[in-house]
Amino acid sequence: MTTTRTAPALETAKRVAAQVTDPEMPMLTLADLGVLRDVAVEDDAVTVTITPTYSGCPAMATMRDDLVHRLLDHGFDDVRVRVALTPAWSSDWISERGRQALRDHGLSAPGPAPAAGGPVPLTLRPTRRDLACPRCGSSATAVTSEFGPTACKAMYRCEDCLEPFEHVKEI
Amino acid sequence: MTAQTQETRPGDEGPDERPDEAALLAAFDATIARHDRIEPRDWMPEKYRSTLVRQIAQHAHSEIIGMQPEGNWITRAPSLRRKAILLAKVQDEAGHGLYLYSACETLGVSRQELTLKLIEGRQKYSSIFNYPTLSYADVGTIGWLVDGAAICNQVPLCRTSYGPYGRAMIRVCKEESFHQRQGFELLSTMMRGTEAQRAMVQESVDRFWWPALMMFGPPDDDSPNTEQSMAWGIKRDTNDELRQKFVDMSVPQAAALGVTLPDAGLVWNAERGHHDFTQPDWEEFYAVVKGSGPCNAQRIAHRRRAHEDGAWVRDAATAFARTQQETAS
Amino acid sequence: MTDHDNAYEGLLGGDDSQWAFGTDFEDPLAGVDTTIADGVDPAGLAAYCLMLGDDALVYSHRLSQWASNAPDLEDDIALANIALDLLGQARLLLARAAAADPTVVPVLPEGSPVPAEDALAFFRDEAGFRNVRLVEPEDADFGVTVARLLLFSTYRLALLERLRSSNDTVLAAIATKGVKEVAYHRDYAARWFLTLAQGTDESRRRLLAGLAVVWPLRAELFETHPVEATAAEEAFGVDPAVVADEVDLLLEQVLSVSGVERPDVRPTGPLGRGAGRDGRHTEAMGRMLAEMQVVARAHPQGRW
Ligand SMILES: [Fe+2]
Ligand SMILES: [Fe+2]
Ligand SMILES: [Zn+2]
Repeated sequence: MTTTRTAPALETAKRVAAQVTDPEMPMLTLADLGVLRDVAVEDDAVTVTITPTYSGCPAMATMRDDLVHRLLDHGFDDVRVRVALTPAWSSDWISERGRQALRDHGLSAPGPAPAAGGPVPLTLRPTRRDLACPRCGSSATAVTSEFGPTACKAMYRCEDCLEPFEHVKEI
Repeated sequence: MTAQTQETRPGDEGPDERPDEAALLAAFDATIARHDRIEPRDWMPEKYRSTLVRQIAQHAHSEIIGMQPEGNWITRAPSLRRKAILLAKVQDEAGHGLYLYSACETLGVSRQELTLKLIEGRQKYSSIFNYPTLSYADVGTIGWLVDGAAICNQVPLCRTSYGPYGRAMIRVCKEESFHQRQGFELLSTMMRGTEAQRAMVQESVDRFWWPALMMFGPPDDDSPNTEQSMAWGIKRDTNDELRQKFVDMSVPQAAALGVTLPDAGLVWNAERGHHDFTQPDWEEFYAVVKGSGPCNAQRIAHRRRAHEDGAWVRDAATAFARTQQETAS
Repeated sequence: MTDHDNAYEGLLGGDDSQWAFGTDFEDPLAGVDTTIADGVDPAGLAAYCLMLGDDALVYSHRLSQWASNAPDLEDDIALANIALDLLGQARLLLARAAAADPTVVPVLPEGSPVPAEDALAFFRDEAGFRNVRLVEPEDADFGVTVARLLLFSTYRLALLERLRSSNDTVLAAIATKGVKEVAYHRDYAARWFLTLAQGTDESRRRLLAGLAVVWPLRAELFETHPVEATAAEEAFGVDPAVVADEVDLLLEQVLSVSGVERPDVRPTGPLGRGAGRDGRHTEAMGRMLAEMQVVARAHPQGRW
């Protein structure tokens, strides 16, 4: 994060921005999701940098809106939201707290993302993941759909307690 | 690609074979009384199970049929941003259907069975989707009023007694509330547009207001299932209570938008602390439920066609999975 | 656990600014540095971005038509997902084109609030679109869709992989993100290709028929257009001829695992001396645009 002379304002801005939540997964803050990249304050103007989780993310405008209006509520008059496309968002950026929040809400958190760069190998079989049921902890889980209700999730079912649950995918 | 067969069927164990049914029932009742969750592996009365299957299936069907009226505008969305929002929303509804069918499968029924019941007209879905979408403003109105009414109905269900249903509803409600916000935002943007756009919004709200009020079901006096469902914690508020809540929350939002709700009888009643409002035309409601809505036949025909056209693909997946398993073992 | 009622609170206006505050539209590249590298011709960059952007836009539109029509719920979701990814890429690419060379954007009546990406998508005429013809037709069934998606995504993934090192930082960023997405699309298509090929007699028959429908439009993908040649020379783009072999190798991998022969069909020729990249399209294109553009064009001063 950028350091500037206006430290107290910066602290406030960081704290406020860090509390804004994802509109579709409100158990996660933008900071925990790794979407919030930077907060800077210069001459009373706040610049917040965010990055989309995927190109078509329809929630970007809403996030931008929420950030602006929370910061305005906290006395900042000049708020700008920048979108950074690089480096591309990775599920590795979800914080430990974010992962815990996912588990607390019955979602399975992503494992390590595949390495970026180079040609992507073709995979003709569904990705094998060793998951634990977020409800009972059983490792007897089966994928029911590689594409979940939102782009970033896959659907699973626990063979033991029968719970259907979502897994946040590794990208 | 899909694994929708359910090998474990809790229902198969059948309560009747158990000698100590009275004890089981007592334990079940105690769980309900404590407001704890009933889980798939727990014993449950057959009537509870079948009521839940019917309710969850009807809900799942509503999500799936609900993709059609809005899907109708995906290819004509007037901006790329709106197209992305709409496509994501329709996709979310499919996801909700998937959650709910999965929850239903924990009760020992398959999605295939439920789908057949839907296209054969043996199970219902929300009547609101039997109304057509006639302008792009309808996309916003559906988000604002229809998703809004759905949330009023569904939020109490997050605490419903059946675990998988309650947990599915928690996820569904979070997304529905995002839909509602986006719908409202579309309308509010259009209201800041041209005269023609404002007229389009008002016309749309005029058309959807009454059907939205009907979404809470008939007045309490005429609603036979309510009592048992409330006792089981499957339902938590009466139709009229939820309808009142919806009206009360819609009035200030309509004012913020600058649209007029089409009810001359809509006034604040300080004594009750609620708005008085005119009941929708319940004759129309029953006619639509019975099948005479503007789009009933069309919605089912669409679902049936998609299901039948896709049969060869699903068959291929099943056959392929079988040969894969055979070569593996 | 009062958390369940959160949705309710939002709904009841617990935070009323939610209802007073509309999301003012911002360009998808708002806040992104769109400076152009030295030695890059802005008009050439814009023309190149339109090509990649139009491929994604038109194909996204076609795939979105599966919504509520797919063979199974999982596929409804997956196809919408793919359409959404491509739409996201299209928006960034069209916005990139407009930022690089504003003259590519159709001129709208004075005071129109329509943003550049929408002016490009909804107010350009058919001849202004620069997409390949492969993405235009409407698919008769899922067999055609799987075959078309396989051809398209193997091609696009190969392009995007190289485009990650474009000297245009915006294109490089779009490509980096796009690679992760299109890799998914390709896997989805390839898995279904294998499944349909080896599923039932009927599914195999339909897949082969689908492959024969789309195969003739493959050659056009790898023909170097002058715009692409310049793009490669100036190091912001990729000459598609360069990726032809690796794409072919990948296809061969899928075909052979599936036990499918290459169809024996002749390539679709150009129209005179041009094809999709020159604005010469199939008959399906005009009908598609008529539908896509109808509401936007009825409200040139509209705000959405
Ligand atoms: Fe829904
Ligand atoms: Fe919804
Ligand atoms: Zn479990």
